Amino acid sequence: MVLEVKKACKNFGGLAAVSDVSFSIRKGEIFGLIGPNGAGKTTMFNLITSMFPLTTGEIVFQGDNINGLKPNKITEKGICRTFQNIRLFPLMSAEENVMVGVHSRSKSGVLSSVFRTKSQRKEEAAIRKRAKELLEFVGLDDFADITAENLAYGQQRRLEIARAMASDPQLLLLDEPAAGMNETETSELFQLIKKIQTLGITVLLIEHDMPLVMNLCDRIAVLNFGKKIAEGTPEEIQNNPAVIEAYLGSEEEEEYA
Amino acid sequence: MLAELFNPYYLQIGCFILINIILALSVYVPLSTGQLSLASAGFMGLGAYTSALLTIHFDLPILVGIIAGTLIAGLIGILIGLPTLRLQGVYLAIVTLGFGEVIRVVFINWESLTNGSVGISGIPHIGREILKTLKGFGFNPQSMGLQNNQFIFLSIFVLLLIIAIFLVWFFRRQHYSRVGRAYAAIKLDEKAAESMGINITYYKVLAFTQGALLAGFAGSIYAHVLAYISPADFSYHRAVDILVFTVFGGSEVIWGPVFGAIFLTFLPEVLRFISEYRYMIYGIMIIILMAVRPQGLIDVNIINWIKSKKRSKRGVTHGSGSEKSM
Repeated sequence: MVLEVKKACKNFGGLAAVSDVSFSIRKGEIFGLIGPNGAGKTTMFNLITSMFPLTTGEIVFQGDNINGLKPNKITEKGICRTFQNIRLFPLMSAEENVMVGVHSRSKSGVLSSVFRTKSQRKEEAAIRKRAKELLEFVGLDDFADITAENLAYGQQRRLEIARAMASDPQLLLLDEPAAGMNETETSELFQLIKKIQTLGITVLLIEHDMPLVMNLCDRIAVLNFGKKIAEGTPEEIQNNPAVIEAYLGSEEEEEYA
Repeated sequence: MLAELFNPYYLQIGCFILINIILALSVYVPLSTGQLSLASAGFMGLGAYTSALLTIHFDLPILVGIIAGTLIAGLIGILIGLPTLRLQGVYLAIVTLGFGEVIRVVFINWESLTNGSVGISGIPHIGREILKTLKGFGFNPQSMGLQNNQFIFLSIFVLLLIIAIFLVWFFRRQHYSRVGRAYAAIKLDEKAAESMGINITYYKVLAFTQGALLAGFAGSIYAHVLAYISPADFSYHRAVDILVFTVFGGSEVIWGPVFGAIFLTFLPEVLRFISEYRYMIYGIMIIILMAVRPQGLIDVNIINWIKSKKRSKRGVTHGSGSEKSM
């Protein structure tokens, strides 16, 4: 198991955004986290990356309890994420964005940076090389010098993935990577995530694009109103009555799709 | 001939410009992580008083005083920087401004040590010390065709020029490194920076402390150039002056605060002939600038434009990599 979430609860005041959610992710799989809007999926991400503290429960990453670690320590441990509402560094070039991602895997301090020691120059060259590789990996090698805010929407999404991968994560959290993408971009994204899987990186994916999720994921967990209502393979999920009800409403309620 | 060129008055303005450049950097560095600090005047005062008191009461060499003044300011910088981490923008500005006032009020009221609002006079003068030392080796400024006081100010000016160039070089190099990228990332999006593995506590306190060290250093130098300091030198007005250097020049690139400090130190001197109106003109200029160019006069686009000009002149195109290591 790469990640085990055990009875995670998160309350905001009286509101239980996530309650008693447990699931575990196996090494190398693509795990989907789906659910209607407001189901607590992004909150789950924020709990795993320690942006919010858990109210109760436990999150175990590769055997270590990671509760209460600072977000930057979580990244050092090997979990990195993208954001639902893109949070690139808007005024930096695409390359610089990815270079920032390498931060936790490099160590030059102020003095070695200013006096450009041998090890610092070597490290800087390695960071640049890594950034180039990753931009190529996500298909943005021609846009290295473009300011992030000037990239097209789909490119920004892919740049976020490259930036997150720069920290050499074991577990990559993707928060709605296909949001706002057209069909071509979505199918490119599909290929990209498959490619990430072949690198041995485990992927936890939040996504609303059902065809993408069903084709891509090895297993899926479904959240609704902060509770896990189902877990299983895409086929199992598609035929689960609780899931259908959560998405389409029960018969008395008005239909919502 | 040299004698006419090195008018002590001009040299002294030159010295103030260089001190102001260091002060402007003390705002620029914390601001490059998004921390708007108005504490520079307070840290400057700490540096100045520490160095002045040590050199007067303990007869320590000026160099030791300056180092001690800088370090004390840096140490207090860590102490102030840690609790104020959570504050952003204008809230941090208010707290740091308050800190500066607290420091000033302590200087006024701790009369047994600081002489209160009368201030401290008779602080050892850097230029005179340099002259004395050199005379000890049998050097005489007349051999260069200079009066003693010309030499005094010239030596300070050259010393400060070297220091200022070193500091600009230092922070420029820092900017184009892992540390600089971390600063910029924190400025642009703190949460995203933290998620990318950047220890924001460390880098924010580091930047704040670097600012405190710079201001403390500038303050210690200031004390030994003027030979007289009083609490009024480190008041609210000083804090705003220092801030304006950076705001006016621009805080995106290091040349902004440098330009702001040079220009705004020169301006009142140039406008001396209409002395009654000069602060009005100063004020109007700043208002116009805020309306037309809120990012300050020097921004990234201007720097890129200058770079591209230089490049086309040389007829060489550089990759971004070699360009950044310039």
